[in-house]
Amino acid sequence: MTVATFSDAPAATRQRPVAPLAAAMLLPIAIVNAIGFLAPVANLFRMSFNEATGGGGLREAVTFANYLAFVMDPFYLELVTRSIGMSLAITLLTLVASYPIALFIHRAPAQWKSLLTIVTVSPLLVSAVVRTYGWMLILGDRGLVNGLLTSAGVIHEPLRLVNNTTGVVIGLVEILMPYMVLSLMAGFGRLDRTYEEAAQSLGAMPWTAFRRVVVPLTLPGIALGCLLCFVLAVSSFITPKLLGGGRVFLLATEIYDQAIVILNWPLAATMSIVILAIFGLALVAYTRVVRLLD
Amino acid sequence: MMTSLIDRDMPTIAPAHDPRPDHLVLEGLEKRYDKVVAVAALDLAVRQGEFIALLGPSGCGKTTTLRMTAGLVPASAGRIVIGGRDVTHLPPYRRDIGLVFQNYALFPHMTVAENVAFGLEMRKVPKADIGKRVAEALALVRLAQYGERRPRELSGGQQQRVALARALVIRPSILLLDEPLSNLDAKLREEMRTEIREIQRRLGITTLFVTHDQVEALSMCDRIAVMQAGELVQLGTPFEIYERPRRAFIADFVGRSNKLDGIVREAGVIEVGPLTLRATETPARGTEVRISVRPHRIHIHPHPGSARPHARTNLLVGRVVRTTYVGDVFQYDVDVGPGVMQVEKPTAAGPQPISRGDEVELEWSVVDTLVFEDRP
Ligand SMILES: Nc1ncnc2c1ncn2[C@@H]1O[C@H](COP(=O)(O)OP(=O)(O)OP(=O)(O)O)[C@@H](O)[C@H]1O
Ligand SMILES: [Mg+2]
Repeated sequence: MTVATFSDAPAATRQRPVAPLAAAMLLPIAIVNAIGFLAPVANLFRMSFNEATGGGGLREAVTFANYLAFVMDPFYLELVTRSIGMSLAITLLTLVASYPIALFIHRAPAQWKSLLTIVTVSPLLVSAVVRTYGWMLILGDRGLVNGLLTSAGVIHEPLRLVNNTTGVVIGLVEILMPYMVLSLMAGFGRLDRTYEEAAQSLGAMPWTAFRRVVVPLTLPGIALGCLLCFVLAVSSFITPKLLGGGRVFLLATEIYDQAIVILNWPLAATMSIVILAIFGLALVAYTRVVRLLD
Repeated sequence: MMTSLIDRDMPTIAPAHDPRPDHLVLEGLEKRYDKVVAVAALDLAVRQGEFIALLGPSGCGKTTTLRMTAGLVPASAGRIVIGGRDVTHLPPYRRDIGLVFQNYALFPHMTVAENVAFGLEMRKVPKADIGKRVAEALALVRLAQYGERRPRELSGGQQQRVALARALVIRPSILLLDEPLSNLDAKLREEMRTEIREIQRRLGITTLFVTHDQVEALSMCDRIAVMQAGELVQLGTPFEIYERPRRAFIADFVGRSNKLDGIVREAGVIEVGPLTLRATETPARGTEVRISVRPHRIHIHPHPGSARPHARTNLLVGRVVRTTYVGDVFQYDVDVGPGVMQVEKPTAAGPQPISRGDEVELEWSVVDTLVFEDRP
């Protein structure tokens, strides 16, 4: 999922054999990846075929019991569909909220661009946990939003904005926006004001010019941002746990519960592998889209 | 040779009456950016079917004028009328213009045919007609076979022609071109000049053409509007602009010229240091003026004294300080005292009669002695 996929490099240069030096330079990151990613995943994979013995114990075995348990239980299947559905909705909302910001920054004069980018990315300096607590304060029954609306006389009963899906969606959208904005901007390379001007000179009204010219030219950024945010949304568990108030059940929160609370590690590992499979599917979809755009 | 110089008349400027009505009118058009005045009170009337060049050095406001006409930047003051309709406050998509950008701005995500069809789709032209008109437009620019290609699979010149087809297919009321040839190599540029002019004539479309290339302006256009620092300083046919530039700036910018500074001593006589030169028209006595003479209008005599002085010619003795061979012409730099003048002679087979260090005599008609009060 590298950005390099978008480069207009002719196929010939892309297929050039990797130089020995370049291969040598890739070695450190390959080692780090092997230790930090491949080994743990392999471990998870192995564990998902182990047998849970209750009370946190597990026995080395090759059993499909965990997968069977997962597939047979409608609760788990619902977790999968809900996780995917909610993550898609969150991704879409994040896209809608971030697109104007990314476009604005892209069009800002050069001297403002870096400042605006820093401002957009600055929420990342505060941990997602802290920001989630912030949202709990803002969205709570006696929080900022309800307080303001009540004192303005708009509502008499507080709106239920936390401890439910609404809270999770609001929190995650905000938390994911910086990633989306950055991805969009990375993919805005081909966008140039003159394309819109050309469209308008040909009789396109601003909205039509946006739809027919701007959106297609920014699709690489949209695809990249959506992939990234979808993956992050599916795998996030702290924000759904806190803003969901234990009432929003998702794949990631369930993994946390199985691993930390119930101590059924093999089942947690099984669900982790399921999430990985979902990521794999997302990646395939992304690759398809990018190839289509090329 | 002598007689031809003496007999040379003032170039007659035929004020050939053009019966065509004005089609594009810019009235007191102005654009200010904070303190910068990009375009100042510009008046210009382009006749129906006329091809006018906006010519001037970088930063003189050509693009700004064109973009105001297209509606891409709002005018600070003034009026824009296209075909009798005041469009000053209309957005670009309601102005009925065809626009060709310097970088072509072809939509990279569409094929050539889709690019050309875009404007027709915006105009809700029926599907069946779109195909036909796109094919016609592509044939017009000799790219009939290229409809399915992507813009990036075309050469610069081909992209240029697609941009032209895309702008013309909508049959706009006026065509606006911003330096459309500046990204092409010299040979292709020459071809495209003829081609654009040819297409423009055939369609009879009123055209405003921005360029900083004087050769382009002279060779392609009916009339040239010369701009300097946001102002329109002269509007005239290529002949008028070249032969009777109204300012030293124009003489300098359009074509090449030799410059000498002097003072008017009496009507028709100018003192340039120790030299005395004649001109047909001079401002009041005592005025400081700049004299300008085109290099190829000067005759060079290898032997001083061979030309006889005459009231209708200027005669100067000088020494050749440099000779340059440029293929079709020889350039001689001749030191005449108050300055060095460049003279151009077509090359001929055989040895060149003049070499560096030679003393020579320069002679040119008073008619070719341009006198200006501005000294840029
Ligand atoms: N957006 C802007 N803000 C401030 N000044 C501007 C802006 N656009 C143009 N100008 C100024 O207006 C003047 C005219 O610019 P314009 O682009 O019309 O020049 P031009 O004749 O097209 O030059 P070139 O041949 O280099 O394209 C310039 O001095 C330029 O700096
Ligand atoms: Mg320009």
